[in-house]
Amino acid sequence: MININAEFFQGTQGQLFRLIRRPPCVQGHVLYLSPLFEQANQTRHVFTRSALNVYQQGLESIIFDHYGTGDSAGDLNQTSLILWQQDIVAQLIEIKKGSTQPIILSVSLSAALLLNDDMLALIDGLLLVQAEFNGNRFAQQFKRLALAAELNQPNAEKFSVKSDELAIAGYVMKKQLFEQLKQQNIEGLSPIKTPCCWLEWQVPNNELSPARAKHYQTFQGVCASIDDPCHFYAIDDVKYWQSTELELAPQYLATEQQAIKRLLTSIVAEKIC
Amino acid sequence: MDLVQTVQKLISILTGVIPNYDDDFWSADTELFGAIAEFDSMAIVTIIGEIEEQFDIIFDDDDISAENFTSVASLAELVLNNSR
Repeated sequence: MININAEFFQGTQGQLFRLIRRPPCVQGHVLYLSPLFEQANQTRHVFTRSALNVYQQGLESIIFDHYGTGDSAGDLNQTSLILWQQDIVAQLIEIKKGSTQPIILSVSLSAALLLNDDMLALIDGLLLVQAEFNGNRFAQQFKRLALAAELNQPNAEKFSVKSDELAIAGYVMKKQLFEQLKQQNIEGLSPIKTPCCWLEWQVPNNELSPARAKHYQTFQGVCASIDDPCHFYAIDDVKYWQSTELELAPQYLATEQQAIKRLLTSIVAEKIC
Repeated sequence: MDLVQTVQKLISILTGVIPNYDDDFWSADTELFGAIAEFDSMAIVTIIGEIEEQFDIIFDDDDISAENFTSVASLAELVLNNSR
């Protein structure tokens, strides 16, 4: 039987909801950063499977909802990028206070836009899953949602929003949050010294698309760890976050377990050194 | 890349995003916008993002029109026009 605890805890601005799966003998911690907006809904079922896997690996997992999203308190139009980042850092500090075991941060898709140096300083390993660091591109895709929605429902009633807010595809947020996300990019991070794994969807025998290849190369540029550079894993599986049906991506989940194992080995080796 | 290759690649993208149709459902003539229930705004934007990545092109916002998303063939024409 899995030991799972659903709880509310005090975040920077209000109560946040989280699920903690804690095995009897905790050998490490994995904090999952939920990606943003629709991606949060499209990834949650896979996060659950992933958390069950890491439980079997002897790792505690924490999945939480950002302030103003999911079951956490607040509304989206009451939050900001800074606030979300503060909540993540506070959780990492809390884990670190209570344990000497390694902490791995699992960052999927647009959750990479939340990463900052304060988080990287508190973790022992970084797991990046099809990470999207390009805030400008994310913002562009988000704005396109509104255009596409108009195609489908040209006469749909528009949300009425305040002057400092915007509404896109049913999400009402502060313009400031949108602009903050838009400005995020890899170059904003200091050199990364933490052991790191990068999981990327790639069709076998095909090269990465130019955009993704450039994205990965740029990230490698900020990986300062020479002895243990960021390890790349190619995934040939369904892109579960894009599918209109719920898909589980078993090959991805198996590869993720390997990546976590590798991270733990690297972390232990680094501590011995 | 010619029209046939473009259509094949587009079908591969479409089946990834909308997986609940058999392979023989998809062809150049398959109608999209207004014809497939799953072809909603989220699917359209996801497909646009995948096309941009896989074909290394960038669409204008003006390209997001019902005409361009009428069928696999019209989408392929859009891709080829942006690739030239």
